[in-house]
Amino acid sequence: MSDDLENQLRAALRPVEPSAGFAARVMARVEAEQRRQARRRWRIPASLAASILLGLGLYLRVHQQRETAAGLEARRQVIEALHLTDEKLDLAYQTVKEASGS
Amino acid sequence: MDRDLAKARAGDEGAFAALVTGHQKSVFGLALRMLGSAHLAEDIAQEVFMQLHAKLASIESSEHLRFWLRRITAHRAIDELRRNSVLKFTSLEGEAQLIGAEDPGDPLLQTKLRSTLLRLSPHARAVVTLRYQDDLDPLEIARILDMPVNTVKSHLKRSLEIMRESLKDHAS
Amino acid sequence: MTPIRTYLLLGMLGSANAWGAPAQVAPVQPPTQAAPVPGAPVPAAPDARLALPDLSALAQKASQSVNITLDPSMLAMASRFLDSDDPQDAAALEIIKGLRGIYVKSYTFDQDNAYRQSDIDAVTNQLSSPGWTRLVQTKSRKTRANVDIYIMLVDNRAIGMALIASEPRQFTIVNIVGSIDLNKLHKLEGRLGVPNLDIDSPAK
Repeated sequence: MSDDLENQLRAALRPVEPSAGFAARVMARVEAEQRRQARRRWRIPASLAASILLGLGLYLRVHQQRETAAGLEARRQVIEALHLTDEKLDLAYQTVKEASGS
Repeated sequence: MDRDLAKARAGDEGAFAALVTGHQKSVFGLALRMLGSAHLAEDIAQEVFMQLHAKLASIESSEHLRFWLRRITAHRAIDELRRNSVLKFTSLEGEAQLIGAEDPGDPLLQTKLRSTLLRLSPHARAVVTLRYQDDLDPLEIARILDMPVNTVKSHLKRSLEIMRESLKDHAS
Repeated sequence: MTPIRTYLLLGMLGSANAWGAPAQVAPVQPPTQAAPVPGAPVPAAPDARLALPDLSALAQKASQSVNITLDPSMLAMASRFLDSDDPQDAAALEIIKGLRGIYVKSYTFDQDNAYRQSDIDAVTNQLSSPGWTRLVQTKSRKTRANVDIYIMLVDNRAIGMALIASEPRQFTIVNIVGSIDLNKLHKLEGRLGVPNLDIDSPAK
């Protein structure tokens, strides 16, 4: 039953495309934003970019994937550790407040 | 996708448009399932990609990009739900337009499940959608939502119980 | 999500507090020290890192357990993925900036009193060594929770913190190593024996 429910949920929650022209609307907003901000961006000539990509290749991709996974996990642990610390500090604070009658 | 990301980071707008096209289904889908409104989901999705455009330099890899998009989308949708209490009671606006002719399974049952999803809390909706739309495991969901893994598991367990109950009513 | 304010109150900053004013810590009487003897070995700088006990046996009994070890390299890695445009992430970034380690063990049980006093003693015994000062000890009759907070002070600067929270169904140890802003703790000062640290309240 559980598998069936989960399969039904997967079917019910299949990703859905936005309406036609979504990407074009985003790019129009990006362009408008750029005109507004006139932000300077560092641009690599296309030919140089291609050379860099070919040179770095598969090794970088694998290395990056591992680094990303480790980094995201470290980030999650930081957030969780700070949440827990914060929760216990507040517990102490509430106890002090309770004892002082305020 | 890695090539598009690298080119987009270098300022190639065509590559950025390709990233949008490549990820729009996931981003829009997540927002839609959480908010129940195609109109609001598109607004959120556009904002997410606008934010991505500004943050490209800090996106390190395709995997990071996927993580970042899901995280920003989920958090924006949760903020929207908190801001707009009417959304808590929303019906599935425009639902009919979104169901494709090729959708397998029982459409009425699926509508029931989607409707039940919209009765869950914002965080529970995010957890369920990330699990069953994007097939993420609880640890990945915990990272995206800044939630302890055990809280993710509790949300999943409780939400499935609620779904099961709602289906009993559907069956009867 | 924890409000930004709570993170800022936690304020683990080296020299500036969350409200912009420089953190101030009233002089704390340093432990009495004899004059150094020429030629005598120089004592090693105190280390705020605790040797957290192996609690794997406890973990097996627990319904939920958290075991976090973030050394300097992990903290550096995490900061690359914390988003400075997100208020919560930005607050977390500020907190971990001056830190050299965060170590957390937390166990939740389905029944009361599933852990032993000896599990707690394994940590508190280390906190009686030189350098550590117990800042506050709280016991709540309502929640039956005890929370003890210790800091390690060197030259009037807090360089480490230890927190032990024992609740009927949860036991948590937090050890933070690095520069700590005590501003958060000002809310506890002057009450029930917590020493008045004379820390200015932030301007509102």
